[in-house]
Amino acid sequence: MDSASSWDGTLRLSEFYFAARALSQKWKHMNHVLPPWTWFPCPRPSWAASHEVEGYLSLENVCYLRSNGEDPDRSCTSKEEPSYYKEELTDDATLVQSCDEEVHFYDFHILYSGSYKVPVLYFRAYYSDGQPLALDDIEKDLPPNSLKILRESKWTFITQEEHPYLNRPWYTLHPCGTSEWVKLLFSGDSCNNEYVIEKYLISWLSVVGQVVGLKIPLEMLKKAQLYPVSSSSSVNDGLSRWNPQEDC
Amino acid sequence: MTSEPPNSARKVVVHLRATGDAPILKQAKFKIAGTDKFAKVIDFLRRQLHRDTLFVYVNSAFSPNPDELVIDLYNNFGFDGKLVVNYACSMAWG
Repeated sequence: MDSASSWDGTLRLSEFYFAARALSQKWKHMNHVLPPWTWFPCPRPSWAASHEVEGYLSLENVCYLRSNGEDPDRSCTSKEEPSYYKEELTDDATLVQSCDEEVHFYDFHILYSGSYKVPVLYFRAYYSDGQPLALDDIEKDLPPNSLKILRESKWTFITQEEHPYLNRPWYTLHPCGTSEWVKLLFSGDSCNNEYVIEKYLISWLSVVGQVVGLKIPLEMLKKAQLYPVSSSSSVNDGLSRWNPQEDC
Repeated sequence: MTSEPPNSARKVVVHLRATGDAPILKQAKFKIAGTDKFAKVIDFLRRQLHRDTLFVYVNSAFSPNPDELVIDLYNNFGFDGKLVVNYACSMAWG
């Protein structure tokens, strides 16, 4: 990566891995509402060097309550057994939620875009019975500010794409403007390479999260909280918190 | 820290800083109640600049969530008695 002033706001694949690990570790420590991000390693594309790690971050089963009144904090703790809602219930009294509340589940994946060299957010939503939500319904779940950003801004929009690894259609925030606004985000900081990589996904998520209703705790954004990513003890630590999964 | 009035009475000085080719405000500093949400700062900016599409961020490389309280942002990221909020106009397509 070049010096901060000439940096173009992009990440190399290997840097994405470290940025993902930094996000995951801090999130686990400081986010007490949502479950941790999980890293899914994936088969390496033919163009990636042999030492590079390919994969994506996953945060799934985040439930969004469709409430009537003002609800600034739309996302809540994910249910530990989402399959509960799919079971046949004969007795309404056993339902956890009240009858006039709708619960939607959201899955978020953070992938690396080889063409834009930036992270990309993929997401999908579904009803408690497993039926997918259409974009119209998803937009009703999103914070009011996010619809403004999407309709009026020039830096992102929602499209439907085939998930690069799962081969199903997911919604995504198009990455074409990302490098430009990330560069802007970091322009005020006197930062070195390592600092930018560690902070990259957290800063990126502070913006992208606003569109999809994921709130970043202020704790995670403070400078003083950076963890060293390179020491061997934290690598093992990091791996155990990583929840590495089998190849997708 | 010197003793301060309770948060409900506390006002925060916000300094709005133009970046890139964003227009510079004549009046770039103002006071806002600490208990107000950051959304109010964003709306104020939009009204002042007559633009809807702004990119707003704080030096520490992040964009504050509109639901954050101004006093929390100031306490964590303010310095010299003020909270500096940078703004840029929306980017062209990359």
